[in-house]
Amino acid sequence: MSKPPVKVFNPGRLLRNRELGLSLVLLALVGLIGLRNPAFASINNLQFILGDTAIMIVLALGMMCVLLVGSIDISISAVMALSAMTAGIVMKNNLSQAEAQALAEGAVSAAAVKVSTPLPLLLLLAAGVGAGCGLVNGLLISYGRVLPIVATLGSQYIIYGLSHLVSGGQAVYRKDMSEDFIQFTRGSFLGFNSKVWIMLAAFLVLLVFITYTRHGRRLYAVGSNAEAARLSGINVRAVTLSAHVIMGILAGLAGMLYASHDNKITQDMAMGYEMYVIAACVIGGVSVTGGSGKILGVALGALTIGVINNGLTMLRLTGNSEFWKKAIQGAVILVAIITNVYIQRGHERRVLRERRL
Amino acid sequence: MASVTGKIPAFLRRREWLLAALVLLVFFWFNAREPDNYTFFKLLNQTRVYMVDVGFMALGMLLVLILGDIDISVAATAALSATVMGVAYRGGQGLPFWLSILLMLLTGAACGLANGLLVIRFKELFPMIITLSTQTLYRGIAYIILKDQSAGGFPAWYAKDLGYGSLPLLGLDVPIMLLILLLIFPFYYLWLHRTAAGRRLFAAGTNITASRYSGLHTDRIKLTAFLLNGLFAAIGGFFLTSRTGSVKYTIGTGFEMQAIAVAVLGGASTSGGRGSVPGLLLALLLLTALKNGLMLLYNDAFILNLSVGLLLILVVLIPNLFSALADRRRVLRQRLQLAK
Repeated sequence: MSKPPVKVFNPGRLLRNRELGLSLVLLALVGLIGLRNPAFASINNLQFILGDTAIMIVLALGMMCVLLVGSIDISISAVMALSAMTAGIVMKNNLSQAEAQALAEGAVSAAAVKVSTPLPLLLLLAAGVGAGCGLVNGLLISYGRVLPIVATLGSQYIIYGLSHLVSGGQAVYRKDMSEDFIQFTRGSFLGFNSKVWIMLAAFLVLLVFITYTRHGRRLYAVGSNAEAARLSGINVRAVTLSAHVIMGILAGLAGMLYASHDNKITQDMAMGYEMYVIAACVIGGVSVTGGSGKILGVALGALTIGVINNGLTMLRLTGNSEFWKKAIQGAVILVAIITNVYIQRGHERRVLRERRL
Repeated sequence: MASVTGKIPAFLRRREWLLAALVLLVFFWFNAREPDNYTFFKLLNQTRVYMVDVGFMALGMLLVLILGDIDISVAATAALSATVMGVAYRGGQGLPFWLSILLMLLTGAACGLANGLLVIRFKELFPMIITLSTQTLYRGIAYIILKDQSAGGFPAWYAKDLGYGSLPLLGLDVPIMLLILLLIFPFYYLWLHRTAAGRRLFAAGTNITASRYSGLHTDRIKLTAFLLNGLFAAIGGFFLTSRTGSVKYTIGTGFEMQAIAVAVLGGASTSGGRGSVPGLLLALLLLTALKNGLMLLYNDAFILNLSVGLLLILVVLIPNLFSALADRRRVLRQRLQLAK
């Protein structure tokens, strides 16, 4: 302790960085799949994967906030469906008016004027609905003392039910969508899909929020020891609530991305998606008991799942690649999670050895 | 808590009374609205659809929940076990049916055992995460075995008598599968609540470290609970298949959430140490009465799920709010006494 540590470049120390380890695994995965099918490692396909994973990353960022405070949210796919459906119905109703008006004014074809409620308003609406769902979840968990799994399991049922009620039993198809909504996830800027830019924006905002703001650090404090956090003057309930609201807002936005990407909004949209998002967080090193996890890790975890999903299709193990993808996805995710545990255990052992414990 | 609810004897404060009252309320409410279609006899008939397969899965889930763990993969386990049975029997051209059933039970137990081993081997991953991935894995295996096909052609006693048969009992036509489920309950109750083996489960769920230090083999207990859960899931799949008559790999999708809902409604907590067999039975009855009534009135699966979710949250939330209120009153009273 007497000698100040001398800073020398130590490759071993660099390798101990968890995020770097994960990115090496990711690179190895890309390389291996690329060896088998060179088309996989092409710039085009990698960009495609990034765009495909953007929605999962947006959701995983929110899920990370919720997991950090020691909570969990399994209702996010339902929130995505409800917020996209609400915005979709508004869009559909306003769209038909616009068409009728244009026809009355003597437009040659109605398709030329597929305009509806402005996109920013729709996004705001979806985010608002998402925030409302997050608020209810958060209230149930923080003030109602309902366990997170039970609360969000129940609200998942309820929110899907609401989405059904809002939809009136019908889906919103491409013909019901305004042109700017359809193009929302199709445009590209500097070679990257607009989904990627939205994801990057969300990533940067949350990075600053979680790493540099007082409230962001409180998420870690509450998750690592709620009682200590309470005694040091943090309003634990309000922090938990805010994490759920953030998750809700991001789920609402992700729902819009998902809907625009799919060109279709159904009442049971994205069912089961929450499982991938939680898996992405766990691979990215977020602890399910709360208090630890890094935002870069979460993005890498989601990318790993994205690469696996896309890779399983590209590998063409047999004639029917979709078949294999469906069949071995679970095994691959399990292997990824368990590998992660071994890396973590090795890391902890090394830390203990350094402290001579 | 004692100050407000203290006037009521302890055994009357149990969750079971609330559930029993709700069962009666739901039954008579729907009975008043649909006097012809919603009768006790018709409800009894519908227990095949709403009660039996979920009931078996919930019995297994209860064990895992008491330990403070959770198993998302039960429905997938049921699907895989039923798939194995269907493929082994191959409509009468494969193995004998009893051997196929045995294989099915073994598959269920093996799935449960695999979950249990992963859970005790990788303690830093949570049972939820592990069973989340094994869920996809088990369904994936069922998909590899069956692809998009379905397997059927089961013997008549299974697909007809067990699936739709009834026994005349006390002037009622009681579905055979319901009878089997109900027969299990008393034994299950005695085992879980009145034997040392059952109490150990509660001990391990309440405080796993304390239990280990007082000499319980907590890992073995966990393994047993997950194994039994897999077995019960297979039995649930068995009855589900007898009702549908054939197996597909998608069979029973979403049943894991229903099983969890039933167990939690019946008084189990996902943080462990709590759970009750009578409560589970009442919760099962409540959901059956509610689902059947809602199906008659609205014929809409989404409305049905919405009300199940609402019920689940309310039954957990309301006692919590009462105890929070009681806590606040107690604090106020103590402050008053201190001020004096």
